[in-house]
Amino acid sequence: MANRTYEVMYIVDPETDADRIEKLNDAVGKLIEKEGGEIIRMDNIGLKTMAYEIQKKNEGHYVLFEIQGSGQEIAELERRMRVNDMIMRYITVRVDEERKTAEKRRNKRETRAAKRASFRQNATAETAEVEAEA
Amino acid sequence: MAEKEMEVLNDRDLNLDEEVIGDRPRRYQRRRARQVIPDYVDWKDVDFLRGFVPERGKIMPRRISGITARDQRRLAKAIKRARSMAMLPFVAD
Repeated sequence: MANRTYEVMYIVDPETDADRIEKLNDAVGKLIEKEGGEIIRMDNIGLKTMAYEIQKKNEGHYVLFEIQGSGQEIAELERRMRVNDMIMRYITVRVDEERKTAEKRRNKRETRAAKRASFRQNATAETAEVEAEA
Repeated sequence: MAEKEMEVLNDRDLNLDEEVIGDRPRRYQRRRARQVIPDYVDWKDVDFLRGFVPERGKIMPRRISGITARDQRRLAKAIKRARSMAMLPFVAD
């Protein structure tokens, strides 16, 4: 099965009680695991001022999940989030592909840098040899 | 806004050349990025993204930031994601 990594972030209404938010997060975690996903990271970011008003509110409680799975759990999770009144907004971003290309780019740069360094070393060694001969 | 752009241009006068086309000298400069774009542009990294959204909240054009087309695309996407989660403004005034 395809193994994909997603980042799911949602904003909870700031007027909900802390324990209800806790419960909601637990429910999200359980749902993901039930659907066959795996939670890599869970970050309760907390209250943050938003850049613009959402539902007449200036702040929101941010929560971030990093999930690994097939995508099925995402579909279910989004369905649930859509109907939940506490969740003012959510976003899901698939990150594995971009991360992979980033990794590739970095590797490429590193090998190139290593090559360059070794070339430079050889070059200086050669000049040293020439100088020694002369 | 036009004024703001001029300010940014003046900030990096370093590579300024003057070219006369018609009767007015036209200012242009070689493109050079002032900041390094990481391999992975994180849409959650608001502090980094903020460097590319001037006061008004618009995405900084490439001709000013000097970054590559590829980076601009990735950056624009990240900014838009951050906007939809109210981490950056759509418009600020």
